[in-house]
Amino acid sequence: MIYAEARYRPLGDLYLSVEFGDELSLPLNFRVIALDSALKARRLPGVTETIPTNRSLGIVYDPFAVSRQELIARLQDLEREVQEIETLPSRHVTIPIWYDDPWSRECAAAHGAPNNVEFLAGINSMTAAEVIRTHSGTDHWVSAVGFTPACYQAMPLDPSKALTAPKYQRPRRWTPERILCIAGQLTSFYPIASPGGYQLLGRTPVELYDPKQRNPAFADGPVLPRVGDRHRYVPIDEATYWGIRREVEAGVYRYQIREERFSLRDYLGRGRRA
Amino acid sequence: MLEVLAGGIQATIQDVGRPGYLATGMPPSGPADRFALGIANLLVANDPGGPYLVGRRPGAAGIEVLLSGLRLRVLAETAIAVTGADLSPALNGQPLPMWQSLRVGPGDEVAFGQARSGARAYLAVAGGIDVPLFAGSRATNVRAFVGGVEGRALKPGDRLGSFPPSRPAREVEGRRLRPDLLPAFGARWRVRVVLGPQDDLFLPESIETFLTHDWRLSPTSDRMGCRYIGPPLAFRPRPAYLVEQAGADPSNIVDDTIPVGGIQVPGGVEPIVLHVDGPSLGGYAKIATVISADLGQVGQTRPGQITNFAAVSTDEAVEALRALEGSIAETSIITP
Repeated sequence: MIYAEARYRPLGDLYLSVEFGDELSLPLNFRVIALDSALKARRLPGVTETIPTNRSLGIVYDPFAVSRQELIARLQDLEREVQEIETLPSRHVTIPIWYDDPWSRECAAAHGAPNNVEFLAGINSMTAAEVIRTHSGTDHWVSAVGFTPACYQAMPLDPSKALTAPKYQRPRRWTPERILCIAGQLTSFYPIASPGGYQLLGRTPVELYDPKQRNPAFADGPVLPRVGDRHRYVPIDEATYWGIRREVEAGVYRYQIREERFSLRDYLGRGRRA
Repeated sequence: MLEVLAGGIQATIQDVGRPGYLATGMPPSGPADRFALGIANLLVANDPGGPYLVGRRPGAAGIEVLLSGLRLRVLAETAIAVTGADLSPALNGQPLPMWQSLRVGPGDEVAFGQARSGARAYLAVAGGIDVPLFAGSRATNVRAFVGGVEGRALKPGDRLGSFPPSRPAREVEGRRLRPDLLPAFGARWRVRVVLGPQDDLFLPESIETFLTHDWRLSPTSDRMGCRYIGPPLAFRPRPAYLVEQAGADPSNIVDDTIPVGGIQVPGGVEPIVLHVDGPSLGGYAKIATVISADLGQVGQTRPGQITNFAAVSTDEAVEALRALEGSIAETSIITP
């Protein structure tokens, strides 16, 4: 549900969470991002950083600079001001994916799981080719970033292109890096090799985490995905995968990123009913 | 200059940490025991930095030593101080006095042996260890491959330079911590928490169980998360849309912010305190958050030891933090 009024929850002595609801939905995420944007523009005293998530805004604050009560009062004022936000800055990022790649197949097999794309086909009553066509047939809205650096969660903007997937019953001990995955309706990503339980979709030759920041796309920091980005996953074949991978390793790959604005009003008025 | 002869279980370079990047999933890292690293730095007249997470100064970098095995050779005269857990530190085979600064010279060897109390010792060097800054900090995060020496734990052959000391080694030699401030590392720990953010998802009896039972630290614990073994905790029934959206397990929530110190309870078993290298986002209900002032207690607990969690208000937590940060100051140091 989306709460009638935001709930302010303490997370110990240095964090506060402004929670707008407990469900997964785009309008809820838009409210989180709207408050985050307003907070960044306003620079409330004592606030040191913010963490937008699917449904709540985590706020880190210096309790010696601002009391919790005072901060909550200021945030409530701010919340009232940002009700009517209509557009947000949103980058459109194109990410090439080798769907049903050999690393994903091998990883699933090593953990006693069936081919994950074929498994998704069964769950969603379609063919494996349709799974890939469906997943790559819409933009995906990045609604949260975290867990590990550059790990994110994204929701399909076209609800008719939503796939659904259960998590692994027994989480994997390892997953190769740069694997795109899905659980529930959320697409996610393993930027670095890690354990996990999402179903494996494919692998990208492109880095979304680069601690050495070699490519100009990482000029602002080692992590590419940001909350409010839109991702478009483009299916590629093996030859294209290796061609791009060589460019990435040489530091000459040109990321396809467009700086745009996204109209929430248009989207909520039209898209959701599509 | 120090040379690493043996890396031991895990020794990493840490300063106060790397705040400001939580929204990218980059943990703040920093010391598992802020007080111990801060005092070690003060003893050799380094900047202790701070406060944790909301301060602007990372302070000087030192070495965090987990349990045992680190051996170092001194290559040039300097002052060092060892604080935190008693890992039987030795200087040239003789017991090395802790919580005070010592002058060491070329050829001297510092070694950490058996863990007698606590889990993590800290070694500071006059001037602070000179490794590159990454995103404003020298703190190592081995999972994200950043900070410290090439984003990894120390290994044999590493050479650690230091910045010019603020004062010569002979002037800081013999500085020690006020005896009344020496922490007591026993076998039983009391860790204060603020309940929430999802305590309302647990049954009231389970909140009671959490706050009254003995919890034993699992060996599956590290700088990312510390697991506690004890009775299962149970959840209130959930609406159907959450079963679908958040996951089939009653502990599942739609992912939200995990603070440093947040206590997740996946499946209702083995509460996990997410620590300084922990994730900023996760999909399990959090019963409570360890207060900042007690994160060091968690960091010093050894697997098998018992912890009791006690609920306090956020105001009490802030006062505890004020006291902790206030104690990491020159007024806590006795000069010879």
